[in-house]
Amino acid sequence: MSTPTHLTRAISVIAHVDHGKTTLSDRLLEYTGTVAPRDMVEQVLDQLDLERERGITIKAQAVRMLYKADDGNTYQINLIDTPGHVDFSYEVSRALAACDGAILVVDASQGIEAQTLANVHQALDHNLKIIPVVNKIDLPQSNPELVREEIEKVIGLPAESVIFASARQGIGTKEILEAVVREVPPPTGDSNAPLQALIFDAKFDAYRGVVTYIRVLEGTLRRGMRIQMMQTGKSFEVDEVGIFRPEREPVDDLSAGEVGYLIANIRNVRDSRVGDTVTDEARPAAAPLPGYRHVTPMVFAGLFPTDTEQYEQLKEALEKLQLNDAALVYEPESSAALGFGFRCGFLGLLHMEIVQERLEREFNLTLLGTAPTVEYRVRLRSGEEIPVDNPDHLPDPGQIEAISEPMVLATIVVPSTYVGNMMELSQERRGQFVNMQYEPGDRVVITYRMPLAEIIHDYYDQLKSRSKGYASLNYELVGFEEANLVKLDVLVAGSPVDALSMIVDRSKAQAQGRRLAEKLKTLIPRQLFEVPIQAAIGGKIVARETVPAMRKDVTAKCYGGDVTRKRKLLEKQKEGKKRLKRVGNVEIPQEAFMAVLSLD
Amino acid sequence: MERIHSLYVHVPFCTWVCKYCDFNAYAVLEGLIPPYVDALSREIEVAAGEHPIGPLETVFIGGGTPSLLTSAQLRQLMDRIGAIGFGPGAEVTLESNPSNVTAEHVEGWLTAGVNRLSIGVQSLQPEALRFLERLHSGPDAIAAIGTARAGGFANVSADLLFGVPGVNLAAWLDTLESVLAEGVQHLSAYELTVESGTRLGQEVRTGLVQMPGADDQLEQYWAAASRLEAAGYAHYEISNWARAGFACRHNLAAWNYQPYLGCGAGAHSMFRLDDGSTQRRWNLKGPQAYIKQASGLGHALDGSEALSPERARGEAAMIGVRLLGGTGAAHGFPAQRERLVGAGLLVEDHGEVRLTRRGVELANQVGAAFLA
Repeated sequence: MSTPTHLTRAISVIAHVDHGKTTLSDRLLEYTGTVAPRDMVEQVLDQLDLERERGITIKAQAVRMLYKADDGNTYQINLIDTPGHVDFSYEVSRALAACDGAILVVDASQGIEAQTLANVHQALDHNLKIIPVVNKIDLPQSNPELVREEIEKVIGLPAESVIFASARQGIGTKEILEAVVREVPPPTGDSNAPLQALIFDAKFDAYRGVVTYIRVLEGTLRRGMRIQMMQTGKSFEVDEVGIFRPEREPVDDLSAGEVGYLIANIRNVRDSRVGDTVTDEARPAAAPLPGYRHVTPMVFAGLFPTDTEQYEQLKEALEKLQLNDAALVYEPESSAALGFGFRCGFLGLLHMEIVQERLEREFNLTLLGTAPTVEYRVRLRSGEEIPVDNPDHLPDPGQIEAISEPMVLATIVVPSTYVGNMMELSQERRGQFVNMQYEPGDRVVITYRMPLAEIIHDYYDQLKSRSKGYASLNYELVGFEEANLVKLDVLVAGSPVDALSMIVDRSKAQAQGRRLAEKLKTLIPRQLFEVPIQAAIGGKIVARETVPAMRKDVTAKCYGGDVTRKRKLLEKQKEGKKRLKRVGNVEIPQEAFMAVLSLD
Repeated sequence: MERIHSLYVHVPFCTWVCKYCDFNAYAVLEGLIPPYVDALSREIEVAAGEHPIGPLETVFIGGGTPSLLTSAQLRQLMDRIGAIGFGPGAEVTLESNPSNVTAEHVEGWLTAGVNRLSIGVQSLQPEALRFLERLHSGPDAIAAIGTARAGGFANVSADLLFGVPGVNLAAWLDTLESVLAEGVQHLSAYELTVESGTRLGQEVRTGLVQMPGADDQLEQYWAAASRLEAAGYAHYEISNWARAGFACRHNLAAWNYQPYLGCGAGAHSMFRLDDGSTQRRWNLKGPQAYIKQASGLGHALDGSEALSPERARGEAAMIGVRLLGGTGAAHGFPAQRERLVGAGLLVEDHGEVRLTRRGVELANQVGAAFLA
């Protein structure tokens, strides 16, 4: 069942979140008979429960489809489903690097969004042939003609190449497949050349070790071959190679142009890094494939068990999760307020949420997460430069020469009515205006250079709420920049709570301190005694609020028949309290540790 | 199973269900009373045969409005209860509306064996009575106490409500003073509690009614407590005061975690098994369903739960701390006791613990501490 190279295609589906990428992929699988309709669980390619529930793709997936085209040939189409979130943009870029073409899905009512643009730029960077599809044309509020025009004007793809589709109703599926075999070029690699296979994802399987997702670009990968990972230098012997149909199906070899997997007794996804090049140890390629990047976390937060006895469980859970998530890093951390936990690094806020949710759900833990922060670079007077990913670890101001923070280039796409709001918000958040471009369909693309720290502090939610939900955002890291920053400390009942410390812009510090204290006052429930909340900069108190003591909590009647009900009520209240973290004498809810994220 | 010496009997009928009430009570089902009394008698008979019960030290006939029973119906019930056997000096309480306390009724109740009358006065203020939807007037309530005492009741209790919207501290103390002047032996003063399933609950939710703030409620509570203490009433439970020797023995038994049998619609029972575990069980709530089941099967059990000895100890402590004279029920919880003493909510006294003034105000916090 090997397919000649000229009948092989490798494509990806790219789209803004919610534009129907996964549904379209499902239709392609169905139409090509890869998955029988009766086996069709909605969203076949999203395998994690969490992915299915949230309707997002976290890990890349791959599947091989066979399609008998109108020209009479049977084509092998390799479909790679990419993660659809800015947190995973590097993973997306590697998945795209493994393709020759991309189906671009644009929602017929939403039109082009920030991620659409980001994805298209990435696809063009990889010289992919783009097949534009306007999806959801069956919805009453859709305007396919306008979106088609927008695609031509904004992206520069000819309007006549745009396919109208409704993935939900199966409209346009055949046209898309025909365009893929017609437009997307076949692979150009040479099966006899030294092996170069691109890793675009890796998954940990409890029985087989790491399953590495690859596309062979040059040469042939065979079972039994000794391979080398060109970036890490590690070698392994290949136990199994195979293809996805969509379940794993072993084959003898994968030759240039083919997409599949390899299993080689690799025990940790860290040894099978996304973007690395697999080569033949005996006859290695001259150079690795371009574009590899060592993935580094952008956002950091502490994770602590609310029940201190769950520390060991948390540690084991992180170890297990990391086997499957090379982007997750963690190290032990101890907080005076929260006890023992871990400082974790994530790709972004979504990644952080997902990790915390998986830890709680799959490992039955109750966790308290501190507010996310970025990694600062602090230059000391001694000349030494140190990274600081925990505000509480910021050295004494007297030792600090300068602090630099990570900067991003943020792209906002928004209807022109909201341009003022977007600019106002971005300026409030220390953004530096870079560019603004008016596009057809009443759309404006605005770019700002701004601190990543501002983005992770509620920027996206504000963007959405100040644009009535219309704005979309994409951003990429563009380096570090010096800034005038100070540490803001919080004292609850007179004791500093390290986990509430934050690093803020000096000119805004006092106002932030006031808002934080006010916010905490509303979030910390009344206790048996009065609880003062203070914000301090360098030991100087800049704000003070007080949570008054609980005034009254007494049931008037408690006779025989009332006892069961009352006990259950009190037990339920007590159960709710288990989500609170006791800091000294004060019980603080999770939301309080997140309060710093939404001070506006 | 530990022998039972207390019996609760529930009569769920009322002429009118007041808007704040979330008891198991039903208006205008009076036609159901005769078959209900039959079913109740049968349930008591069957239960007495199944469980180790008697001699009875306390009986409490509550509601609803049990004073809606005719003298004959009450006698039928009391005869059935009497068949279990009374201990010497057993306390037999009947709850009554002021309007039902007539000389004829009083005589009938005494003849039937009732020796303690608990009268639902609630308030003497016309506005408050209207707000609470009570069907009697202030003078009716005062007259009722007089009639009961004149007719021969030597143990009369009045139920009062404070924290009623529109009733200020002075008006509340007026009500209290007038009731005390009638010479009751026992007094229950409850803060008006907004229960979510009631019409009052809805009125508060929708903003139609605004309840007084915690400070005002506590002011009325502590003012009443001072006045009652000065008048010679001991504050023996959060909402209960009594002259020496007149504390309600039936309720004391429950607060001291003694087992009891409950009969009638929606009634709860508490049994104590030999291994120290507690069994709580409850009857069907609806009168019609109850009548059908109890007259057919001889019981109308709806559900039950078992509490391990540890959880039972926690529950005992949760209830026990409501006794203001102190309780030994928190004995097995040294860590919690220490924390609560440290927080100023409890004091230790000869191995027992007792709520402080602040502890009374936060009694649920104290009670919850003993639960798992």
